[in-house]
Amino acid sequence: MSTLLPPPGEIAKMPVDWVEERSGLITFGKFMLFRNVPKDISWLQTLGSALITVFILQVTTGILLAMYYQPDPDTAWMTIKFITDEATLGWLVRGMHKWGSSVMVVLLFLHMGRTFLFGAYKYPREMTWITGAIIFILVMGMSFTGYLLVFDERAYWATIVGVNINGTAPILGPALSWILMVGPEISTHTLSRFYALHMLVIPSILGGLIALHMLLVVRLGVTSPPWSRMQVTESDV
Amino acid sequence: MPRLTARERREAYQREYAFQKKHGKSFFPHAVFHDTIVSLIVVALIMGMAVLWYAQFGPVPEIADAAREGGILGPAYEGKADPGVLRYDPRPEWYFFFLFELLRIFKTPELLIVGSVIIPTIWMVLLIGWPFIDRNPDRRLSRRPVALAVGVMVPIVLLTLTFYGAKAPGAVGEASTAPGAAAFANGACSTCHTFADAGTAGNVGPSLTANAVDYETALNLITNGKGGMPAFSAQYNEDQISCLAGYVATHSGAAAGKEGPEAATAAETYPASCEKAGGEFAGTAAAG
Repeated sequence: MSTLLPPPGEIAKMPVDWVEERSGLITFGKFMLFRNVPKDISWLQTLGSALITVFILQVTTGILLAMYYQPDPDTAWMTIKFITDEATLGWLVRGMHKWGSSVMVVLLFLHMGRTFLFGAYKYPREMTWITGAIIFILVMGMSFTGYLLVFDERAYWATIVGVNINGTAPILGPALSWILMVGPEISTHTLSRFYALHMLVIPSILGGLIALHMLLVVRLGVTSPPWSRMQVTESDV
Repeated sequence: MPRLTARERREAYQREYAFQKKHGKSFFPHAVFHDTIVSLIVVALIMGMAVLWYAQFGPVPEIADAAREGGILGPAYEGKADPGVLRYDPRPEWYFFFLFELLRIFKTPELLIVGSVIIPTIWMVLLIGWPFIDRNPDRRLSRRPVALAVGVMVPIVLLTLTFYGAKAPGAVGEASTAPGAAAFANGACSTCHTFADAGTAGNVGPSLTANAVDYETALNLITNGKGGMPAFSAQYNEDQISCLAGYVATHSGAAAGKEGPEAATAAETYPASCEKAGGEFAGTAAAG
């Protein structure tokens, strides 16, 4: 019975093999890490991954804020005040969430500008651009719904004006305003509706679109810069 | 580059793809190395902004519901939202400033929809549909003059709109002694409307110096709101609204060289309603 236990190296590999045999996740991970990308990709092509980092940061700080925040007109402002003034490192969590949104919008512009400059939206990558454009619009929606949650004077009045502006659209406008505010003016329901949109509805759609966007990037291959000197030769075909 | 057939296009892409896979470098560690450095810089930048924001906080206010002041990155928080408070600043987050400025350009009631709905909708359609508009297969900028022009113009236009949208309303002058002027200048009206007689310079709503507004319209707008303008029936009582409407009807449109168009209609209630409303509504002329 001396061969009862396999050598330690084999034991360490067992859970990995177990997962691999049932899901193929290890092969998938290896494929993602060791796939080839163009030799001359540049620093300009790091903005997409930086955006994913910021998105993860926003989700993490957002979850931490949600542990203290109450979407009720009477207490919302008090909980923001508590997070900022009293909670341990609350100012840092809220500050990073607040300024992370600004940085995210700037990075989105730069990422989109880079894609434009490289002509990277051209065949067959049109769908990657379209998902990116929708992600951009949804991020603006995140900002609009998040702005009210602080529930200070500026948040309150800026949201009223913003919703009223929505209301100027013909036919759908007034209905949209009513749906957003849950009635003619900002109330308890408005705040919880904005909260639900801000932390459940839009982020879920955003997460799905980001996954699709990345899937397309991996499937179609990263675009090499348009000034690439590397030429396709007969021997490659 | 000549126009390609769908098949040529597909084959050209597949050749390029095969070439890049054959001669490329591994995503890990080469691309991951660059990605990690940039991500770390970005996270450090965000933390840096949070720290700078925090470092300039004023003391925790002792008065309940008051704002906590800050430095160049703005206050920690403003005072608790109170629908009864009339001094307010309906300013959005900075990246909506371009939209804010568009509304300033198209701020008359008839044109408002151009800035609020039509231009943003066209912009979103162009943004999403751009790959179908630019059919030029070449990716080199020297062969894409139209795309290059668009790529230069769009940021210039957005930055210009953002810059002007960010600029604070102009210098505020002295309110006249007419009844209602002081209430207009010290109340919510002044945040949005430019009105020489009240000495206000707001950038959000139409200028009352340039546009004459009659009494019935003013009364209706202040009571019920319209477009971007909120309703103020919860904040002001009937006399106060009537006073403000009378004041606007009597003095608006000064730049167009005329008194308010329905000064006569307003005269039935104005300035009597202002005296009834009392306080700063009464005006220094009436009081003195």
